[in-house]
Amino acid sequence: MTSTHYKRPSLKLAGISFPPSPNPALSPLPSAVMNNGSSTKKRPSPAAATHNQPSQIQQQQKKHHPTMEEEEEMDEDVVFLDETLLMEESQLLRDMEEREAIASRLAKWKRPALSPAYQSYSKNIVFQQLEIDYVIGETHKELLPNSSGQAAIIRIFGVTREGHSVCCHVHGFEPYFYISCPPGMGPDDISHFHQILEGRMREMNRNNRVPKLVRRIEMVQKRSIMYYQQQGSHPFLKIVVALPTMVASCRGILDKGIHIDGLGMKSFMTFESNVLFALRFMIDCNIVGGNWIEVPARKYKKSAKNLSYCQLEFDCLYSELISHSPEGEFSEMAPFRILSFDIECAGRKGHFPEPTHDPVIQIANLVTLQGQDQPFVRNVMTLNSCSPIVGVDVMSFDTEREVLLGWRDLIREVDPDIVIGYNICKFDLPYLIQRAEVLGIPEFPMLGRIRNSRVRVKDTTFSSRQYGTRESKEVTLEGRVQFDLLQAMQREHKLSSYSLNSVSAHFLNEQKEDVHHSIISDLQNGNSETRRRLAVYCLKDAYLPQRLLDKLMFIYNYVEMARVTGVPISFLLSRGQSIKVLSQLLKKARQKNLVLPNVKQAGSEQGTYEGATVLDARAGFYEKPIATLDFASLYPSIMMAYNLCYCTLVTPEDVRKLNLPPESINKTPSGETFVKSNLQKGILPEILEELLTARKRAKADLKEAKDPLVKAVLDGRQLALKISANSVYGFTGATIGQLPCLEISSSVTSYGRQMIEHTKKLVEEKFTTMGGYEHNAEVIYGDTDSVMVQFGVPTVEAAMNLGREAADYISGTFTKPIKLEFEKVYYPYLLISKKRYAGLLWTKPDKFDKMDTKGIETVRRDNCLLVKNLVTECLHKILIDRDIPGAVQFVKNTISDLLMNRMDLSLLVITKGLTKTGDDYEVKAAHVELAERMRKRDAATAPNVGDRVPYVIIKAAKGAKAYEKSEDPIYVLENNIPIDPQYYLENQISKPLLRIFEPILKNASKELLQGSHTRSISISTPSNSGIMKFAKKQLTCIGCKALISGSDQTLCSHCKGREAELYCKTVANVSELEKLFGRLWTQCQECQGSLHQDVLCTSRDCPIFYRRKKAQKDMGEAKVQLDRWSF
Amino acid sequence: MEAMEVDYIQRKQSTYQFLDEGFKIQKEMYRGQQYSQIYFARLHLMRTLLYSLLPNWKPHLPVCTVLGLEQGKECIIVGTLYKHMKLKPTILDEYSKERSAAPLVKPHNFTHPDDHLVLEDESGRVKLRGNVLLPSVYVTGIVVALHGKETDAGDFWVEDILEAGLPEQIEPPLKSEEDKYVVFVSGLSVGSSTSNPLQFQLLVDHMTGYLGDEKELNIASQIVQVVIAGNSVEIPGGLLSGQNLASKDQSKLSEPVKELDILLTQIAAGVPLDIMPGPNDPANFALPQQPLHRCLFPGSSAYNTFKSCTNPHSFELDNIRFLGTSGQNIDDLEKYSEAKDKLEFMERTLRWRHIAPTAPNTLGCYPFTDRDPFFVERCPHVYFVGNQDSYETRIIKGSEGQVVRLICIPRFGETGIAVVLNMRNLECHALSFGTEFSS
Repeated sequence: MTSTHYKRPSLKLAGISFPPSPNPALSPLPSAVMNNGSSTKKRPSPAAATHNQPSQIQQQQKKHHPTMEEEEEMDEDVVFLDETLLMEESQLLRDMEEREAIASRLAKWKRPALSPAYQSYSKNIVFQQLEIDYVIGETHKELLPNSSGQAAIIRIFGVTREGHSVCCHVHGFEPYFYISCPPGMGPDDISHFHQILEGRMREMNRNNRVPKLVRRIEMVQKRSIMYYQQQGSHPFLKIVVALPTMVASCRGILDKGIHIDGLGMKSFMTFESNVLFALRFMIDCNIVGGNWIEVPARKYKKSAKNLSYCQLEFDCLYSELISHSPEGEFSEMAPFRILSFDIECAGRKGHFPEPTHDPVIQIANLVTLQGQDQPFVRNVMTLNSCSPIVGVDVMSFDTEREVLLGWRDLIREVDPDIVIGYNICKFDLPYLIQRAEVLGIPEFPMLGRIRNSRVRVKDTTFSSRQYGTRESKEVTLEGRVQFDLLQAMQREHKLSSYSLNSVSAHFLNEQKEDVHHSIISDLQNGNSETRRRLAVYCLKDAYLPQRLLDKLMFIYNYVEMARVTGVPISFLLSRGQSIKVLSQLLKKARQKNLVLPNVKQAGSEQGTYEGATVLDARAGFYEKPIATLDFASLYPSIMMAYNLCYCTLVTPEDVRKLNLPPESINKTPSGETFVKSNLQKGILPEILEELLTARKRAKADLKEAKDPLVKAVLDGRQLALKISANSVYGFTGATIGQLPCLEISSSVTSYGRQMIEHTKKLVEEKFTTMGGYEHNAEVIYGDTDSVMVQFGVPTVEAAMNLGREAADYISGTFTKPIKLEFEKVYYPYLLISKKRYAGLLWTKPDKFDKMDTKGIETVRRDNCLLVKNLVTECLHKILIDRDIPGAVQFVKNTISDLLMNRMDLSLLVITKGLTKTGDDYEVKAAHVELAERMRKRDAATAPNVGDRVPYVIIKAAKGAKAYEKSEDPIYVLENNIPIDPQYYLENQISKPLLRIFEPILKNASKELLQGSHTRSISISTPSNSGIMKFAKKQLTCIGCKALISGSDQTLCSHCKGREAELYCKTVANVSELEKLFGRLWTQCQECQGSLHQDVLCTSRDCPIFYRRKKAQKDMGEAKVQLDRWSF
Repeated sequence: MEAMEVDYIQRKQSTYQFLDEGFKIQKEMYRGQQYSQIYFARLHLMRTLLYSLLPNWKPHLPVCTVLGLEQGKECIIVGTLYKHMKLKPTILDEYSKERSAAPLVKPHNFTHPDDHLVLEDESGRVKLRGNVLLPSVYVTGIVVALHGKETDAGDFWVEDILEAGLPEQIEPPLKSEEDKYVVFVSGLSVGSSTSNPLQFQLLVDHMTGYLGDEKELNIASQIVQVVIAGNSVEIPGGLLSGQNLASKDQSKLSEPVKELDILLTQIAAGVPLDIMPGPNDPANFALPQQPLHRCLFPGSSAYNTFKSCTNPHSFELDNIRFLGTSGQNIDDLEKYSEAKDKLEFMERTLRWRHIAPTAPNTLGCYPFTDRDPFFVERCPHVYFVGNQDSYETRIIKGSEGQVVRLICIPRFGETGIAVVLNMRNLECHALSFGTEFSS
């Protein structure tokens, strides 16, 4: 990659025709600061050089201006082509030259060229598919000579081992579903039924040109998955329709009822009528997400007309596809191209960027080949000139339109398989598309792989019991998988904040520089150097998602999850858990000749069932080792042990009727009856068995594996298998899910409860002094799948031995494969209440592994950092140092520091996201009120919707509402506004502290919160309050604060003689501050990656942001104090 | 001395020129300036200098900026080095999410084999590769010229390095036949539990002529200057922060300072005395440290022989130029780079022409806006650093005949060693005081 600055002949000058004097708002930039004489010695920047040619600039402006005006006046509906006609011919020519220049630069990133064997299409095509969808098109005449009209054509997009992109059109696969065949229906009745159905369908699809809506109806022998049935199979009707959308309308007709001669009005229950067409195809062809597909030579036909930009495009019949299961060489990954990008917009002051007003000014792009650790394309596209960046291909454009089109061309040339970024689905992609609409560039949004297909923005709501409801925008890039790291983070990790900054701080352990959007416009309006600064920032934002992707192995984990569960990769992010189980269920059912009923969405009416049990927690501080007995995959084990499934459930009616032998059935604690596997093996247990066996195998292979890439695949697989196994139970309990069966889920939890109780009983019965043990064992707590036992022995090793013994003994009493395992010991253990505890975790007797906490305030964002630090430090002192008095003292010191106003302000900052404007909030909230007040002060820097609002609670008039007491931390720092220590004491730290200390200390509240350390209080005097305007500033003695009259004195007469001591104190304060100042500011230089440029970062998520500001201010003040000594 | 019956011995004198102005911070204030400006000033100063050296180094090569690099084209680039260090502690560690169970062992050296260097100018950064430029030798903040070319990967392959080298030296004075001595001492640590008050008293008595026979008195009379290079007192930690002190703590705090003042008064009565602040003294933290306040020394400051100086400190005695620090610059280099001994670090700073390159990156320093006081404009004849583990000294020579005496002054409180330099020939020896008690 070169760093050559792309020099274009002319138009660039128009872009930089701002006055050469720097914008006053830019004063923190060195280019402005350094103007005092030294700038003349600076290397003239390319932009500066061009300033010296005013005549040329004017010329250019003249030329350029008319077009600009015309653009503005133009109606939005006018299409681009008309507009070009208005351009001067010379300009048009130049434009084309530029286009070509850009195109040749982009061309070097093209995919590798096809070998002759591929070119002649005489080779088997083997590729890893990443995306499967379908379109409606004309039936392929050569492949399907007997059909005609419209049909669904499956499209499979993928990549070959050589890195060629593939688009495979699959023909002949037809949408279908089942209904159970009414008794006594013969072949004649079926054709009659077919006619009626066709007729009804016609009524619903009047405009359809398809000759036959219901293609055919076949009688098949199948069995419903629901309930235990003694008969092997029943007749079902398989209804094949012309187009996938007709499945739903046909189902509607059959649901409502249809009049059949001789039978009268009859409604039908449909089976498998809610299966998405692409998924149906995958299940029937044995394709799983992200696997390898082979199409033999001569079985495919090169497409007559290339509809896509893919290198290999061909048509074939669905029956010719060879789907390879992901094993051996087919477990590898193809070299997909991953594009990570980020855009910057120049927002107006005081507004969050909106596509209707604010231009896109930069787009940074990084393209990485799957499996490589460095991107092979680093590119940034900028509006107006930008100085070169080492190792980065900088492309500068004069108009936003060119930037957008440049990006489109890049997408086309680079042809990424996966597009990633941070919040791209909700922000970057919709913004680009809407912006192009506003600018009237209809040819922009062709970003998919299909020629002439425009990308549109759709509003979607995603709702799932597990992830909650989220509003989102959906932009489909045909043939490319989108992977928004923000969505992935929100799904996979519970974090206090999902800003890119805090996510990268969490996972990559580095702070991201954050440039406030009000500065972005200033940088853009500066010169090519300031735009370069912005480009560096933009590139970093584009690089971080890629690094997160690598670090968290998202590609491996998601591809493996897709392979395990059989759904396309894109489903994993856009859909909930249930589709994954449904897909496995469908696949298994198909093998067993079972069909799944389409249960009407019953909503939550079906009621709920009793959940997992939690044994009462005996709160306390345990200074003897606590052994933890865990059930390994409890719920899957229960389902396997008791053969719980849809097809083994016996209806209450059948229980009476069928007269099943008692040794062949299980009655669950919740009262349901299931048959044992000798009568009917459940398919859920079978799926689970397969998943868990596969996981064991993957784990064993993982141990053997040497190659890090193979390891990554295997680790992703075992994780995916574990998650999938655990989600099966949830699927049966999801009342608004695809196939809920509360009989199963309530049975599972009831067994679970029984096991926990049983374990408790056995432990407390067996491990007693009566039974020959040294102590009586005591179960102190039990949760969903674990039981905590205090065996009473003093050493970790002894507790481990007893734990192992107990686990083996109790496991023996359970039905296989339910197994109690012993894994860890907590010592010491602080049990606060249910789901809240902390302890040191030991897995080997000689050294503890870590401190483990659950449900304790260490991450929640509603709390200020002080709470987190305090709690962590206390737990550290209590558990690791075993120093309870030390912990108490630490709390007291901290409270005293808080009351004495010695607390680092950054520890007190509370942050909340501003999701809507003030009027839309029903209740007044502190952060919303503050945002309003800040807007009145300075609209430019006030937080906008979507920002996080940091605030501190300040001392206000008596009776002020809590929401009136919020204030901007920076404002507080600058004006010495006193914070409200009582608020922090009562509303922030007291509860979490008492929770920890109550099991340990008697009178914890009195001891900690009301001791003598709470007596002295110091409140700073605000420098801007009303009363201070009337106050006269007078110097006080540094020693005793007495007023002194002479302005040149430092000490009052009383304190003379203590100079040395008092000076030492003043200078020590300065010294501390200097130390801090240096460390803080050099850290920020480190983060921004430059020594010679000023730090611009205003990331309020960064823990040192306020400290840095405060150090700067305190430093100034301390220096003034010190200077008073210079007499 | 009146008490002495012997012949009156006249103490020798020399002309003293005070050169600390550059290290003084007077009008400068903290007005929100950042550290980029001192780097900019440094780069500017050094680049002008390095450019002037290029014609004698590699005149045939073109000079580029970082952004002007072209792949494969050989050229020279000049910029500030930045060392990327894996083990470098950062303030953000305080906030790391998982507090490590075991307390961190504080390593004294943060270098790691994976460290790499980056060259930066105003326009950008480029990663440096190659075998000639050893990351373990260099630190962040040095300005050098590099000969090399950009690789395919966008890195810069370094072929050769040009450092600024020793600066010009003023003519050494005519060889004098007269012995004149300068005594260097550091790390007195008055008030520390480990220091022995008697040792320092012996030193004072020796210098002021209260000790020894006539021969020794003669030598003592040839001492023309005493330099105390930092860490003169040790104030118990914890006394200075927080609330008002109880009266007994007040005395604990001022006691060591008073004691020091008494000792200094004895010296100042006899010999000119320069005292520099060090990291433990009641002075500011950031370099250049400002002179210790006169109010701390009500006794000794009454003498005009007493001078409270900055750290770094520079002066001339009989046209011999001295430059020295209380040791922070060298201690910091020792943490972030490697060398065979302390003197090598000292030599490097002179050849880099910058006595504190790691400031402000890892060494606290004032955020200067338009100058870099640590730039060495004239080569000293004597370069000393205080508060080192042991006494080391060596002479180094420059390509243009410069001769510099390097001195590591050990901590007196721990070693009982002061260093004596003879200005006649720049020879140096240790002055050791031992006190043994039979207990």
